[in-house]
Amino acid sequence: MQIASPWKPLLVGVLSALLLFSPALPVSAAVDAAICEQGLNDADVWPERPPEATERFVIPAFALDRLPAKFVDEGLRGERPSPSLLRLTAEVSLPPGNHRFLIRSRSAARLFIGDRLAVETPFAPKSGGDGSQNPERLVPLDLGPGYRFAPNGEYERIASFSVPAGGPLTVRLEAFAGGRENKMPRRVELGETVAAIALEGTDVWRVLGPEGPGFAYTDADWATYQERTHRDLDQLEAATRRRLRTAGDVLWQDRRAAARQWLAATTEQPVPAAGGDPHPIDRFLGAKLAAVVAQQGNPDLSGPGAIDYFRDIKPLLDSRCLECHRGERAKGRLRLDSRAGLMAGGTSGPAVIPGDPARSEIFRRITHGDPDEIMPPKGAPLTTEETIRLARWIQQGLPWPDFPLVRREPTRLSDDLSFLRRVTLDTVGVPPSVAEIEVFLADPRPGKRAAVVDRLLADPRWVDAWMPLWQDLLAENPNILNPTLNNTGPFRWWLRDALSDDLPLDRMVTQLVLQGGSSSTGGPAGFGVASQNDAPFAAKGTILTAAFLGVETKCSRCHDSPTGSTKQEQLFQIGAMLASGPIDVPVTSSVDPVKLHAGGRKPLIEVTLKPGSKVEPVWPFGSFLPASPGVPAANPRERLAFLLTAPENERFAQVWVNRIWARYMGRGIVEPLDDWEKGAPSHPELLRWLAREFVRAGYQVKPIARLILTSTAYQRATDPALRAPDPLYTAPEPRRLLAEQVVDSMISGTGKPVRLEPLCLDLNGRRDIKNSTHLGTPGRAWMMASLSNERDRPSLSLPRLQAMTDVLAAFGWRGARQDPASVRDTSPSALQAAILANGVLTRWVTRLSEDHPITRAAVEATSAEGLVDHLYLRLLSRRPEAAERERHAAYLRDGFAQRFIPNPVPVARPHTPPKFVTWTNHLLPESNLAKQELALEAERGDPPTLRLTTSWRVRCEDVIWALLNSPEFLYRS
Amino acid sequence: MLMPSRRRFFQLSGAAALGSAAPRATAALLKPGRAEHCIFIWLGGGMAQIDTFDPKALGDAKSKPSKAGSYYPSIETAVPGVRVTEHLSQTARLMERITVCRTVNHRVIDEHAFATNLVHTGRTLSGNVIYPSIGSIVAYERGAANPEVPAYMLIGYPNVSRGPGFLGAKSGFVYLTDTESGPAGFTRPDDVSPERAAARAGLLEPLRRRFPVGSAPWEYQEAQSDALRMAGPGFMRNFQLSDEPGSLRQRYGGEFGQRCLLARRLVQAGVRFIEVSHNLNFINGAGWDTHNNGQLQQHVLIRELDTAFSALIEDLERQRLLDRTLIVIGTEFGRPAAFDGGGGRGHQGTAFSLVLAGGGLNHLGAYGATDDLCKLPVESPVGIPDFHATIHAALGIDPAKELLDGSRPVPITDGGVPIARLFS
Repeated sequence: MQIASPWKPLLVGVLSALLLFSPALPVSAAVDAAICEQGLNDADVWPERPPEATERFVIPAFALDRLPAKFVDEGLRGERPSPSLLRLTAEVSLPPGNHRFLIRSRSAARLFIGDRLAVETPFAPKSGGDGSQNPERLVPLDLGPGYRFAPNGEYERIASFSVPAGGPLTVRLEAFAGGRENKMPRRVELGETVAAIALEGTDVWRVLGPEGPGFAYTDADWATYQERTHRDLDQLEAATRRRLRTAGDVLWQDRRAAARQWLAATTEQPVPAAGGDPHPIDRFLGAKLAAVVAQQGNPDLSGPGAIDYFRDIKPLLDSRCLECHRGERAKGRLRLDSRAGLMAGGTSGPAVIPGDPARSEIFRRITHGDPDEIMPPKGAPLTTEETIRLARWIQQGLPWPDFPLVRREPTRLSDDLSFLRRVTLDTVGVPPSVAEIEVFLADPRPGKRAAVVDRLLADPRWVDAWMPLWQDLLAENPNILNPTLNNTGPFRWWLRDALSDDLPLDRMVTQLVLQGGSSSTGGPAGFGVASQNDAPFAAKGTILTAAFLGVETKCSRCHDSPTGSTKQEQLFQIGAMLASGPIDVPVTSSVDPVKLHAGGRKPLIEVTLKPGSKVEPVWPFGSFLPASPGVPAANPRERLAFLLTAPENERFAQVWVNRIWARYMGRGIVEPLDDWEKGAPSHPELLRWLAREFVRAGYQVKPIARLILTSTAYQRATDPALRAPDPLYTAPEPRRLLAEQVVDSMISGTGKPVRLEPLCLDLNGRRDIKNSTHLGTPGRAWMMASLSNERDRPSLSLPRLQAMTDVLAAFGWRGARQDPASVRDTSPSALQAAILANGVLTRWVTRLSEDHPITRAAVEATSAEGLVDHLYLRLLSRRPEAAERERHAAYLRDGFAQRFIPNPVPVARPHTPPKFVTWTNHLLPESNLAKQELALEAERGDPPTLRLTTSWRVRCEDVIWALLNSPEFLYRS
Repeated sequence: MLMPSRRRFFQLSGAAALGSAAPRATAALLKPGRAEHCIFIWLGGGMAQIDTFDPKALGDAKSKPSKAGSYYPSIETAVPGVRVTEHLSQTARLMERITVCRTVNHRVIDEHAFATNLVHTGRTLSGNVIYPSIGSIVAYERGAANPEVPAYMLIGYPNVSRGPGFLGAKSGFVYLTDTESGPAGFTRPDDVSPERAAARAGLLEPLRRRFPVGSAPWEYQEAQSDALRMAGPGFMRNFQLSDEPGSLRQRYGGEFGQRCLLARRLVQAGVRFIEVSHNLNFINGAGWDTHNNGQLQQHVLIRELDTAFSALIEDLERQRLLDRTLIVIGTEFGRPAAFDGGGGRGHQGTAFSLVLAGGGLNHLGAYGATDDLCKLPVESPVGIPDFHATIHAALGIDPAKELLDGSRPVPITDGGVPIARLFS
C-alpha cells in the first residue's frame, strides 16, 4: 500500500475519465481491472476456472501497486479474503515478433497473450515470517541503464514470446495478493505488479498498455503513473464510501429532524447586545471582559510583597492542594477551590482567619512537624518561600478575583500576513505558500479574510491538520511489528476517511463505538484492540469518557476517583457497553486492600468494586442523559452510541465545541478539556450558544470553525509577552507549533521533495496480518508511527523515517500512544534546538539540490535583496525588516553575479540496484551492512545542484538554515 | 527550615498510593547508595543465563534427544563458589566487584518488545499511564552531573521502552547509533565547518531579537543557545575516542567495546545515565536471540561481552570511578536449559540473570540461586521492581518516591525493595 502524498494540495478534480466505476466492458485504450475474492484457496494453486470478479474498475496500463481499499458496512475499511486475485485484461495490438516480456509481482502471477501463457512468477513460500534466517536475494534484476528496479523484493521473470501477425490479442495479467502464513492470512497487497515489454531487437522496456508498449518503465515515468493511479483510486474509494453510506443516510436524516425538534423545544441562548461588535463571539467575549473590568477596578499590584492571586497563589493551590481539596468529595470536607470554601473550612474548623496567618489552621498544617499531620501529605513540604507567600496572602485579606485581568484592552486586529500565517497553520497545518500569500495580499475586497477561511475549510489538508488531535485523543497506537505494547489497529485510515468525507461528529462517534470494519486494515474495529492489556475495554472506556464527555476516568481503572465523583464501576460499565456484554474486573486492575490500609494515614483512595466482579453493560451517566426505555438500540454498543451523541446529552456537543475552541483560541472555555469536574466554564453562555450552533449545524465541525476563525477575537494581534492564553481572550499568546506542524512546515515551507522508506518491516508481505502492518510511505507527519526497533538490529532500522521521528519526538510527538492525551507538552529543550540545527531533516531541506525549489528561485533571482525577500516570505510569511534584509543580503551579495553555472557537466549517476532488506532476510549480516549504508546515504542527503557555485550555494543554504532555526519559525503569532 | 528530613527521604510514603507496596523495614534502614552514574548495558534478544552467568551441568544440543544443560563448561571465579562460563574468563577474575542477580523473574509473554518494555520501565502496560524508562527516571531525579551535558544518553536505537513516558520529552535521551558519528542533533554535518557554523550563528542573530525577555519564544532561544554550545567542541570532544591511548582502545575490543569506552568518557563528562546496547547481530545473525543456529556463534558474543565488560570495570577502577559508577547488564529475559529443534534456545522469563557491578555496592559475586536447570528461583527471588529498586537505591534515589503523572502519584517502582545485602 502506498499513501498518496498530500504535502502538496491534492488536486480535487472530477472523477478521472479513465476510471469509471463498474464498467460493463473494457473500454478501448484502457485495461479492465477485476478483483476476485471467491473460488480461491490457500493451496498455492491456480483456480481451474477464472474466478468471478467482485469489483471492477479501469486503469491505464498493465501495472498497479495498490488495490483499492475494501469497504464494508457503511463505508468502513474491511478485509479482503486472503488470497484474492487481481486480473487485468485488454485487447492489445502488438507488432509481430519474438519479444521479451517481463512480469513483476509479490507472489504468483501469469501473463497470457492470446490465451497462451507467456511468463509467470511462483507462489511466495509458505514460511519465512518467523524471523529466522531465510536467505532472500538482496539485489533485484537490472533491466539496463535508466530502468526501474523492483522496489520491494518482488518476484520478476523475463521470457521471450513470439507474437503472431494479425489483429489485436487479448492480454491478461493475473496476480495473487495475500496468501497464508502458518494458516494465518497475509495482508492482501499487490507489491508492484507490472507487465512490461521489450520489442524484438531492442533493450527498451516499456510498461504494457492497451496500445502495446506504453510508458517507459523508468523511475520518473513510474512516479507519474503511480501518482495518477493513486489519485484515481482515492476518488474511487471515496465514491464507494458514499455509495455504502446512502442506506444509513436515511436514518441520520431522522436523527437530524429529532435534533431540530430538540432545539425548538429548548430555550435559545441569547447573544449579548452589540457593543459595536457584529460577531456573536465578540459580543459574548466583550460583555464578559466589561463585567470583569467593572468588578475588579484597578487593584494596585505594584507594591513590594503585593500578592497577585493568579500569579502567586493559584499555581500553588492547583499543584499542591486542589487534587484533594476540591469539589463535593473534598478531603476533610475542606474545599480550597473557592474563597468561600476556604472561609467555611472543613472538619478541622475554619481554614483561615483573613489578616491573621499565624492563627490560621491552613498555616499550622503546612508547617506541621509531624509527618502524619503535615500538608500536603505527599511529596516535599512547601518551601519556605511558598509558605511565606501563602502567609502574605492571608495577611492581605485573601484577595480572590474570578479572572486574572491580563490586559484591560484587547489588542488590535493582526496585520494581514500574520493573520494568513496563523489561519493557514491552524487549519491545514503548514504555513501559506508564496502564491497563496501573493493572492491574498492582492485581494482588494474587505471580506477577504472570510474568503480565505472558506478556501481553507475546503482544502483537503484540513484533514491532515486534525489527524494529530484525533490520534492523541483516541490513543491510536499501531505497531508495525508484533503488536504487544497496548497497540491498536491502524484506525488512522478510518479517521482520515471520516474527516475527508466531512462525517458529522455524532455519526463518526457512532461508528467508533460500534467498532465496525477490520481491525487490521484501518477500520474503527482497530480502536477496540489493546494488545496485552488486562482490561482492554476499560482502557477504551477511559478514552471515550475523556474525549466526548469531559469525564476523566483514568483513576477509575483501579479505584474510585479520589476526589472526583466517578466510581470504578462506572468506567467498567462503559467498558461493558463497548464490549457488548459483561466484563470482569481483573485483580491487576485493582488495589490490594492490604497495601491500601498499610501506613498511618487514612488512604486517599477507595476501592468499592471487588476484583473478580462482573460488571454489566449499563449506562452510568444518567446525570448527562437518563437512559430512558425509549432509547432505540438493539445492543449495548448501539445504546452507548445513542446516549453519547443524542442532542439531549448536551455535554457531548459542549465538550466538542470546547475542543474546537481550544484548538484555535489556545485554551478551552472549560479547562482541563478532558476533566470538566475540575474546572468551571469561563464563558458559560458562549459555551452553551456554541454547542447549540453545533447541533444546529448537524454536528459539522467546519461551521463552528468558521464562526471562530472569522471572529475578531481570533484575529487579534498577538501579545508577544503572554506566557499563556488569556482566559478573557484579549490577545493570543505566541503558541509553539505542534511537532507535526514543525516537520510539515519544514518540508512544505522549503518545498524540498523528501524521499522516505515505507513504514513497514515486512515489505514483501510474508508475515501474517496480525503481526505486521504496512502504514504506507508517510506523506504527512501524522502518518508516522513508532519505528519499533526494540531488537536493536541495524537491519530493522528505518533511517529516513528516523530522521523525521527524531524531530517529531523532540517536539513532543509520541510514536507510541499508549494512553490518550488532550494536550501536548510544548516546553522548550536543548534537544529541540539541536535537532533543528544539525538534524538530518534540516540537512535535507537546506541542501540546495537539483530538485529543490529554492535552487530554482536562487537561479532566477535578480538581486540578493529580492532573494532574501522571497525566502522570508516563503519560510516566515513576512517581509524582512530593513536591518534583517541588509544583514542577509550582504551575505548573499558576495559572488551573487557569478553564482550561476549555465551548462554544468552532469555527473554520471551509477545505475546501482538498491539493496532490499526486510523481515525475511534481516538476520543476514549483509542486511545489516546494507541498512548501515542506507543510513549513511540518508545522512548525506541529496547531492547539491551543479548550477550554482559551491561558495555561493553554501551561503544561500546558511540563510535558509538561519530562517528555519529562528524561534519565529516555531511559534504561531 | 522545612527541608525534607533524612527519614522522610527514605520513608516509604507511597504506602497508601496506587499499587505501591506496604512499607518494609529493610528499605528504611538502608543507607542511601553513593553511586553518581549508571552505565546500563543492554543485551537485546535475551541473554542465555545458563550459558553465561548461571552455569549448570553440561548439556548436549546434538544428542538425540538433546540433553538440557549448559552449552559450555564453567570456570571458577575470584569469588569462591561462584562459577561462570569459560567464555567469561576475564570477568571471572573481577567477580568481587560484581553481583550476578540469578533469580530475576517475570511472567510476561514471549515477545521481545513487551519484555524489553518491562525490564526498562519496571511495569507492565496499563494503557492509563506511560511509564518512563529507568534512564529517564534517573535523569529526572538526578539531572546531569554537569549542566553542560545531557542527563541521559543512549548508544543504540530509540524506542518507546527507552523513552521518558509521562515525564515528558525533557527527560528523554540523546542518542547515537554509531560511536564514530556522534549523537543525533549535536553532530554538525560534515560540510559545516566551525567557521560556517559561526557564520550561521551570525545570520541567526538578528532573528533572535524579536521576542521579549521571559516570553515563551525567548525561553526557546535560551535552550537554543545551550544546544549551539553543546554542538561546539566542549561536549563533542567526548566522542573523539581517538584521544584515548591505542592500547586502551584495543583492550576494550570491537564496536561494542568502543561504546563502553565512550560510556566511560560520558560518565567523566557528567552524563548521569548511559544505556549501551550490545546487539549488532553481525556475529551470529540473531545477536543474543539465540534460537536454532544462533547458538553456534554465541560464544563469540559472550567473549566480546567479557572483553568489554571487564575492560570497563578495570578502566573505571583505574580512573577511581568504579565506586561512583554502577554498571548494569540488562536483557529482556533468559533462555531455557533445554534446546530447541535447531539446537538453539527459546525464551524464558521465569528465572534469568541480570548483573550489577561497581557503584559502591557490597558485591557478592552472585545473589540468589536457581534450580538445577535454572528454570525457577530456589532462593532469594528478585522481581523486576526489586532489581529497579536496587539500581535506584544505589544511585541515592528513593524507589518508593512518587512521581506525578499530571496529578496522579506514581511510585518510582511498583513496590520494589532493594537487595539489602548489597547495601550493608
